[in-house]
Order: sequence, then C-alpha cells, then structure tokens
Amino acid sequence: MTEGNLSALAPLIFFMAFMVVISIYVRNKQAGKNFVSNYFIGNRQLGGFVLAMTTVATYSSVSSFVGGPGMAFQVGFGWVYMAVVQVTAIFLVLGIFGKRVALLARKLNAVTVVDIIRARFQSDFLAAVAAFVIVLFFGGTMTAQFVGGAKLFAAVTGYSYEAGLILFGLVVVIYTSIGGFRAVALTDTLCALIMMIGIVLLLHYVLKAGGGYDNIMATIEINHPELFEPFSFGNMPWTIYFTQWLLVGICTIALPQSVVRGISYKNTHGLHQAMLIGTVVVGFMNIGINFTGILAHGVLTGNAADYGGVDNIIPTTIVKAMPPELVGLAIIGPLAASISTISGLLIVASSAIIKDVYLHYAEKNSLSVTPSRVKILSMTTTAVIGAIVFVIALTPPSLIWLINMFAFGGLETAFFWTLLLGLFWKGANKSGAMLSMIGGTIIYCATQAAGFKIFNLHQITIGITCSLILFLIGSYFGKKSDEATLKIFFP
Amino acid sequence: MKKNSRASMSDAQKFSLVRREAIYTGLALCGLIIFWLVAGFGTASLDVKIFHLPLWAVLGTVGVWLVAIFISAILSKILFKDIDLGGDEND
Repeated sequence: MTEGNLSALAPLIFFMAFMVVISIYVRNKQAGKNFVSNYFIGNRQLGGFVLAMTTVATYSSVSSFVGGPGMAFQVGFGWVYMAVVQVTAIFLVLGIFGKRVALLARKLNAVTVVDIIRARFQSDFLAAVAAFVIVLFFGGTMTAQFVGGAKLFAAVTGYSYEAGLILFGLVVVIYTSIGGFRAVALTDTLCALIMMIGIVLLLHYVLKAGGGYDNIMATIEINHPELFEPFSFGNMPWTIYFTQWLLVGICTIALPQSVVRGISYKNTHGLHQAMLIGTVVVGFMNIGINFTGILAHGVLTGNAADYGGVDNIIPTTIVKAMPPELVGLAIIGPLAASISTISGLLIVASSAIIKDVYLHYAEKNSLSVTPSRVKILSMTTTAVIGAIVFVIALTPPSLIWLINMFAFGGLETAFFWTLLLGLFWKGANKSGAMLSMIGGTIIYCATQAAGFKIFNLHQITIGITCSLILFLIGSYFGKKSDEATLKIFFP
Repeated sequence: MKKNSRASMSDAQKFSLVRREAIYTGLALCGLIIFWLVAGFGTASLDVKIFHLPLWAVLGTVGVWLVAIFISAILSKILFKDIDLGGDEND
C-alpha cells in the first residue's frame, strides 16, 4: 500500500466495519425464517423510510457524485436542469409498479421480477433470457461503480487504486453475501443519509474556500458566462436533454433493481410515504451535488482539462477545500453511492441465478434442494458474482460513465415494454415480450457497438423504439395469453 | 378508506384501483414535463436574477423539485388509497 493520508482512511474503515456489523446482525435476526424470501426480498418487511432510502441509494451511483458534478462544473446550470429530471424516478416506479407488483408477488409467491415475468408470459425461456440480461448488464454497472469508487478513493486519500478496491469493494461483497436484501436495505439507508451529510459538508467547505457564495457567483459570472445559459453556448444540445429524460427519467421505472423494491415493502402506507420521502431525497441529492460542482469554480480556477477531466473535479475539490481531517468523511458520501448501488445490484443478480434459474430448474425436475444448500448456494453466488466484478475492476476499463449509461440503456430496452405492457395490457403476450426483450436488446447493443445514432441521440431511443415495435408485432401475430393467466394479472 | 373496507375489496377492485393510480402517476409525469419545459426553456430569455442565478435556473431546478414534491404529496396523500396487499403484513 502506498503512503497516504491515514486520517482520511480511518472514517472509511469505521464506516465499512459498521456495514459488516449490520449485515451480521441482520443475518442473526433472520435465522430460522424462510431463507429465500428473507435473503432476496427481506421477507416483505420494508417500511416507508427504508424503502425510500434503499430505492434512492441503489438508483444514485458514483457517477451522480463524481462524473455528474464534474460535468456541471464544465457545462453549468444546464446540467443541473437536465439532472433534475431524476426527481421523477422514485414516484414513477413506486406509483406505476409499486402496488401492482406487490399484489402479484403475494398472489404468485414471487420473490423476483423474473418470477413475475415468467408467470405473466408463461415462458421459462423468456425468464432465462431476463435473468441473463440482468446479470450481464448489472456486471457492467457494478464494474463502473467499483472503478469509480476506487479511483475516487485513490485520488483523495493518496493510497493506491487497488487498496481502495480491496477496502470498500471486498467489504461490500462480504456484507451483501452475509446479510442479503434486508442488510442491503438497511445499509443503503445509512448510505443515503451519509450521502446527504457529505453533500452538505462539501458545500459548506466549498463556499468557505471560495470566499462565500456572492464572491464565487460574481467570479463565475465574469469568467464563465456560458454556465448561465441552458444550452451552455452549444455544450448542452437539446439531444442530451431529450435522451436524459428517457435514460435517467421515464425509462428508469423498468429497472429490475428498482421494480424489485415493489415486492419488498410491508404495506401501502409505507409505499405512499416512500414516494414522498424518495422524491425529496433524490432532488436534494441531485441539485445539491451538481450545484456544488458549479460552485467548485470558487476553489478550482482552471478548466476541467487542467485537473485531468471532469471525473477529477470533485476529488480535487475535496482535497483542496476541506481540512485534511475531514477528507475521510467527505469521500464516504460518494463511496456510499457506489457501494449502495453495488449491493443492490449484487443481490438482484444473485437472485436471478439462484431463484430464477437454479431453484426453478430444481422444482421443475422434482429435485430436492435442502434449505441449507439454498443458503450456501445463495451466499456463494453473491460472493462469486462480486468477486468476478472485483477482478474485472482490478484492470479498470476506461470510460466509466459510458459503461454505466450503456448498461442502464440495455436494461431499460429489455424490460421497459415487457413490464409496462405486460402488467397493464391484456393483449401483451409471450411472442411480443420475447421479440421485444431479445430483439430490442440486440439492436441496442449493435447500434452501440457500431456507434450508430439517429439525430445524434443516445442509442436508448433506437433500442426503446425498436423494442416497442417488436412487442406490438409479436403481440399482434402471436398466440394470446391463456385465460387462467389473464385472470391472475387482470382479475 | 377504513381498514375493514380495504380488506373486503375484491381482487378486481384492487387491480382496478391500482390501474387508476398508475394513470394518475402517468398524468403527473406529463404535468411535470410541461412545468419543466416552461420553467426552464420557457423563461430562459427573461433577464431576471434571483440570488445571482437566472430565473430559468431557479425555476428549472429547485422549482421543478418543489413541484415534484407537491405532485408526490398529492398522489400519495390524496389520490392513492391504502389497500390490503394480501398475505400476512406482519409475518
């Protein structure tokens, strides 16, 4: 380990240790209960506050805390205006899918989103494809989180990238493997609170270091007039606004990691609370951290390129603006965003393999699986997925932001119409869902690989449009869903 | 809605209610998109500043956030109803 700032490391070590303690506590408390239901959805016991916080924390990634505010530094208030569309994310997913998914999950005894897709379209193959898509794209997102978090750690503490990866990367894999969904939800809640504290702390010291709000704003007005213009003198074209509404706004309702929260809450009173709390929190975080990114001009006098690019703006600001003894506290916020996303994805990816593939196969073939075997396999699978992503992150791919957005778009293309039309339209059928999920995802990946764009819009627009067209074609020509299934989904 | 009447709702009534609530949410989204457009791009040409910030930047960010909170409150406190989800809520 290289020589670094030990005072910056101590709060992080304490924080990560606390996460492990929570997961051990949760595991002990859940002993003797239905393992699968407990491990993958917390036995449907989440209250409103925890539901809101875990949904927000899983949704808010390290990109929101590092790349995003770095872009705000470069582009200005147009970036904040674009990022604020994320205030729709929580009330949309919980308002549209929250109760329907909860009702269906209880009826079908479903534990995962794939369980519901399998029951709706009566297709094991489609369920297997859905599980594969989840694991594939989640792998990409998790890698981006590991890399982003470790780079931030290295830049701020002075320790190596690998040391950061080991410290927070391994710990998140361990506590998720031990505690399952309930531990993820509780640690997410803590992470979300820490993120908010981190934003307030950083904002305070940025204002202080920049000579106060009036002084910073006066400097920006003189030196960077483009930051006050919605199109930022051409740096923020309308295409970015449009695609961000799809990518991080409307289409996020179909992200499996968000929809699964609909299976996990206790009652509708909690759901209603979560819609409100979640909207307050996600707005506070988005506006707070991106506005701080702009105010960083009071601390950093050069352009983003002078500091090694937009990803280095927040780490450099933390180092320059904050007292050394508080640097450790400040980076817990962005790292919390990273680990809460990893843990949320990890548990869903693990459920896709164990519950959606293995247990279903065993049940179908009348194979007996003992509870202890399920327990060991679930924990091992979670640990193995985490370890694979950890190893990939050891040789970090470049363009983290793009990997993250690629994975987001892929998941949305695959699941948006399958879930929305599948759960709200009787005419949706297996052929439509199959064509939409497989065809849409392939087209999306192909256009990404070829760099093909229409009107310079992100490929999500092509993916989501093709996915819809294929769904409608398949549903029109395919065999209708049987009456028994429709009776369950549309009583 | 009283707990007894909630418990006595049929599946069809619950799903119908949930469908209606999803439509309210979709309409709320449309309303918010319109507000976002008007508050940001719609006021970008005005030379008005609040706390050193152009009006569009205030309305298009904090304004949109406050409207989203208001919408969430209307949805969750007024338009959405408590229902019994089935199963044991206390298991």
